[in-house]
Amino acid sequence: MRLIFSAVLAALSSVILLFILLPIATTVTLQFFNFDEFLKAASDPAVWTVILTTYYAALISTFIAVVFGTPLAYLLARYSFPGKSLVEGIVDLPVVIPHTVAGIALLVVFGSNGIIGNFSPVRFVDALPGIVVAMLFVSVPIYINQAKEGFASIDVRLEHVARTLGSSPSRVFITISLPLSIRHILAGAIMSWARGISEFGAVVVIAYYPMIAPTLIYERYLSQGLSSAMPVAAILILLSLAVFVALRVLMGREDVSESQG
Amino acid sequence: MFLRVRAEKKLGNFRLNADFEMDRGYWVLLGPTGAGKSVFLEIIAGIIRPDRGEVRLNGADITSLPPEKRGIGFVPQDYALFPHLNVYKNIGYGLRKVEKLERERRVKEIAEKLGIAHLLDRKPARLSGGERQRVALARALVIQPKLLLLDEPLSAVDLRTKGVLMEMLKFVQRDFEVPVLHVTHDLMEAALLADEVAVMLNGRIIEKGRLKDLFRSKNEEVSDFLSARNLLLKVSEILD
Repeated sequence: MRLIFSAVLAALSSVILLFILLPIATTVTLQFFNFDEFLKAASDPAVWTVILTTYYAALISTFIAVVFGTPLAYLLARYSFPGKSLVEGIVDLPVVIPHTVAGIALLVVFGSNGIIGNFSPVRFVDALPGIVVAMLFVSVPIYINQAKEGFASIDVRLEHVARTLGSSPSRVFITISLPLSIRHILAGAIMSWARGISEFGAVVVIAYYPMIAPTLIYERYLSQGLSSAMPVAAILILLSLAVFVALRVLMGREDVSESQG
Repeated sequence: MFLRVRAEKKLGNFRLNADFEMDRGYWVLLGPTGAGKSVFLEIIAGIIRPDRGEVRLNGADITSLPPEKRGIGFVPQDYALFPHLNVYKNIGYGLRKVEKLERERRVKEIAEKLGIAHLLDRKPARLSGGERQRVALARALVIQPKLLLLDEPLSAVDLRTKGVLMEMLKFVQRDFEVPVLHVTHDLMEAALLADEVAVMLNGRIIEKGRLKDLFRSKNEEVSDFLSARNLLLKVSEILD
């Protein structure tokens, strides 16, 4: 009976892992059979400009998420107040809204006739700030929820004791709460950055240009077909993988140093 | 009176309504689990605000003071050592306004007194239960508190360590001349440590005085709590 159970677990798990790996591995592997096209894409400065724009915009978006999201995450983790579940619902809203709809909604506000766009000295439509707000909108819930989880996992008595030792609430936050949830905060920031990079629907509505990588791939696919889109897709996969692995290694090292005291 | 607390607090279904005063010395607040002892300590420390009532320390009304302005040392259950800081930084946490050399001197002095000077570089995760308790005590004492609050300080250690730590607690109270309010459900701790005992049941201080007088208490709740049946339960717990 136990054997059957293990077999079923293994079989079903393999199916889902294959489902994730197969398309990614195939896209990358196919490049070896079409290496000229791959090299052409990899040496195209336009492709790199687009990739750098994507990473840069996602970085700004993540920075904003950390600065404005961390206090809210702490508030939600530590205090109960009337309307708290409403606030939590608002934070999660971008997750349930289709991303093209989010793009439309952002355009209504940040567009040249929008409440903010109308008065802002910064132009959002078809500009980098537009990409940033679109990325921020879809990725900020991921960051806030991760950071919230981090703060909630800290024993509240640590903060209480720190208070009795003469620290104000803000000092307790800086010396106790923040360092103890730094791994969650980092993980949240990385995930929110990754989410930003992968956003297409919201960005394409508010800022088709300057082009980001997902937009470029989509455009190449529509205008020149799969064979033209694939090399760029493969580059993006390899880059994302490299960043992902590097960060995993980095976080893993921290683990070791922590356990060694 | 050194400390006077009159406090009401409602937390869900639980209701604390405590009237308590203590002199300097070693006081034990005795009561079963769920009597409200921890809430009571947190009110004194300033972590919880009472709905009604006042806390007076040395004659001064400190009811509306935040914890950081009270100068009360607090050792919670399980000690709450800061896991990301080594023992030295844990002990020195409350001394950030003290000049560096003086801070170093005070941390080392207290670490030696409590027998933890060899642990200063270690992180809390690598300490034994008894060592943790000493570090938590050192951290609370180094700020020279006016009052030391201990919440079930001996519940997380084995019996042999318990004996050693009890002697140390008594030493600490005399050597640092700090009044202590020690919360426990364990009659043995009260018998061995307390100058005076207060009994808390269902959120109220029922009686206080010397332990031997409490055994003659006419209050039914108190005599029931201190009854032979309860003592035997305690003994059987130890024998287990």
